[in-house]
Amino acid sequence: MDIFFAVLVSGLTNGALYALATLGLSLAWGSMGMLNMAHGAMLALGGYMVFTTATTLGLPLWAGMVAAAAAGAAFGALLYLLVVRPLLKHGGRGFETSVMIATVGVSIALQNALLLYYGGQPLRQPFAVSGAISWGKGVMPMLNVTIVVVSLAVMAVMGLLISRTRMGRAIRATAQNREAALLMGVPVERTYLQVLGLSGALAGICGVLLSAVTQLSPTLGADPMLKAFIMCVVAGLGNLPGAVIAAFGLAMIEAVVQFNFGARWGFPVLLLLVIAILIWRPNGLFGRVQIRRM
Amino acid sequence: MTVQISTATAHRRLSAPVRTDLAIGAGLLALAIVAPFVIDSKYLIGQLILAMFWAGIAVQWNLLFGYAGVFSLAQMALFAVGGYGTAMLSIYLGFNIWLAIASGAVLATVFSMLVGLACLRLQGVYVALLTFAIANVVYFLIMTDTACFRMQGTTCLQFSGGAAGFSRFGDFGMRQLLRGNWVMGNYGVVLVGFVLTMLASWIIIHSPMGLAFRALRDNQPYAIARGINRFHTQLLVFGISAFFTGLMGGLYAAHFQAIGPSIFSLSTLLFIMAIAVVGGVGTFWGPVVGTVVLMVTDEIMRDMGQFRTLGLGLLIAFFVVALPGGIVGQVAALRARRHARKQGV
Repeated sequence: MDIFFAVLVSGLTNGALYALATLGLSLAWGSMGMLNMAHGAMLALGGYMVFTTATTLGLPLWAGMVAAAAAGAAFGALLYLLVVRPLLKHGGRGFETSVMIATVGVSIALQNALLLYYGGQPLRQPFAVSGAISWGKGVMPMLNVTIVVVSLAVMAVMGLLISRTRMGRAIRATAQNREAALLMGVPVERTYLQVLGLSGALAGICGVLLSAVTQLSPTLGADPMLKAFIMCVVAGLGNLPGAVIAAFGLAMIEAVVQFNFGARWGFPVLLLLVIAILIWRPNGLFGRVQIRRM
Repeated sequence: MTVQISTATAHRRLSAPVRTDLAIGAGLLALAIVAPFVIDSKYLIGQLILAMFWAGIAVQWNLLFGYAGVFSLAQMALFAVGGYGTAMLSIYLGFNIWLAIASGAVLATVFSMLVGLACLRLQGVYVALLTFAIANVVYFLIMTDTACFRMQGTTCLQFSGGAAGFSRFGDFGMRQLLRGNWVMGNYGVVLVGFVLTMLASWIIIHSPMGLAFRALRDNQPYAIARGINRFHTQLLVFGISAFFTGLMGGLYAAHFQAIGPSIFSLSTLLFIMAIAVVGGVGTFWGPVVGTVVLMVTDEIMRDMGQFRTLGLGLLIAFFVVALPGGIVGQVAALRARRHARKQGV
């Protein structure tokens, strides 16, 4: 029974973290067909931001959280203005691959900048919650509870933003058909800017939560980003609710495998599963016909 | 009928570029043969050898991505399979180094077929993501391998070499043959491998198969409608490219007499991509030009030490955004424009 709870806690926590990372990636893919390889580095940026504001400047934690989200959003906006917009202007052909290569470059540069500024030694992050909830035999540390609750709250806010606001409607319209949206007077460029800003803010928050369970290092986002990628793929790229479900589901499976066969087999088993799913359904579990920018 | 006509005209039209390619190739080869006799510094020859390795992988990646349109991120993993195969076959089975290198290349091909069967049914970025994930899993499994497989003295060695990798499994035998000048011997061997790689990719690009996969890249529905099987064609290119990448990997392992997991690192893959992007994706000489530019830049940036990786990352992003055709593509576009203007007057 203890093991059952341990697996459950680990799966839930990782699932929440993966879901946040996946959501940010999926948002950018769904609306403009962009795979942001710099997403992992943006997670790290968020983690380091909360370190700077809360530990170095001594501001309260919520301010650090806001700073992390703001830094992520600012970086996302910058990424759009300097890299994505010029690439979109070249015309759609080859956009998917060229934006991927360009963001790999940006990712390496950002990680290296963090390394040069903060140094290579892992830092401890100020975001911590003590205590634990016990329920029967199961114990769940408050930190994990906080992570799950904050993630769910952020996801709920995102859901409301996408489904209820004017901006959300513009994002959905652009994702469905860019030309039609353009003709209906949707400012597509501004919408893309907002999408990458939102995606960056999600990355910032996710980075804070993630570095609370691990440690701060410039490459901290690499592993979750990789897993978030394959979760996006399983769900069908660009499908937001599907991405969240896939994130929780795969995190649970990973936790079970890790507890039973050792930590090093978690990811390989996950990958095999994903490949099997993709052979069965090439557009992902919940994938509709893929949106293609022409 | 129309297909025959179009390939015939293509051949006639290609004859001028073929002559240019031949001239450039002969010139470069002459330079490469003369180089070790003129250059005195062992360090420089070593850098030239390294440049041939990077250029060789970039040429194969370019064949795969630039010509066939398969966006694979497993290129370094295939290179590593070639290198690891060479090392493991000579250590565990006592293979002669040349046989081990050839078998390593075959192993890389087999591995690529498995990866291709799993990934190539998918398209575009899905392929990129899955190959990236597979390469990472292989790296991760090697790094976390701690089980003892054999003992060397008092140290315990893992089957996959673990985090330390393999070393001392044999070399080209140039030290006995040429003694002090062994670097030149190694240079010769790697040059032969590199020329083979270039020749193979040139022949494939200009063969009917090359036309088939360029057609797939440029207009997939049309190519499929003309009876080209996308999956089979791409799998074939994937395998061929893997063979030569694996060959370079084996030569790399034998030249350095060491192979370790660092070869999987993202920055190495990035370097290869940068070479292709800077030189010009989808152009034959692009990877060679890119290698020269990046190796020289790298040498200059060496003085700046810690800013090297940062600079490399920004350079890639800059080139993708500002010069999408790379250097070779840009030059070709300029020449075409000048040609058009001349004809216009």
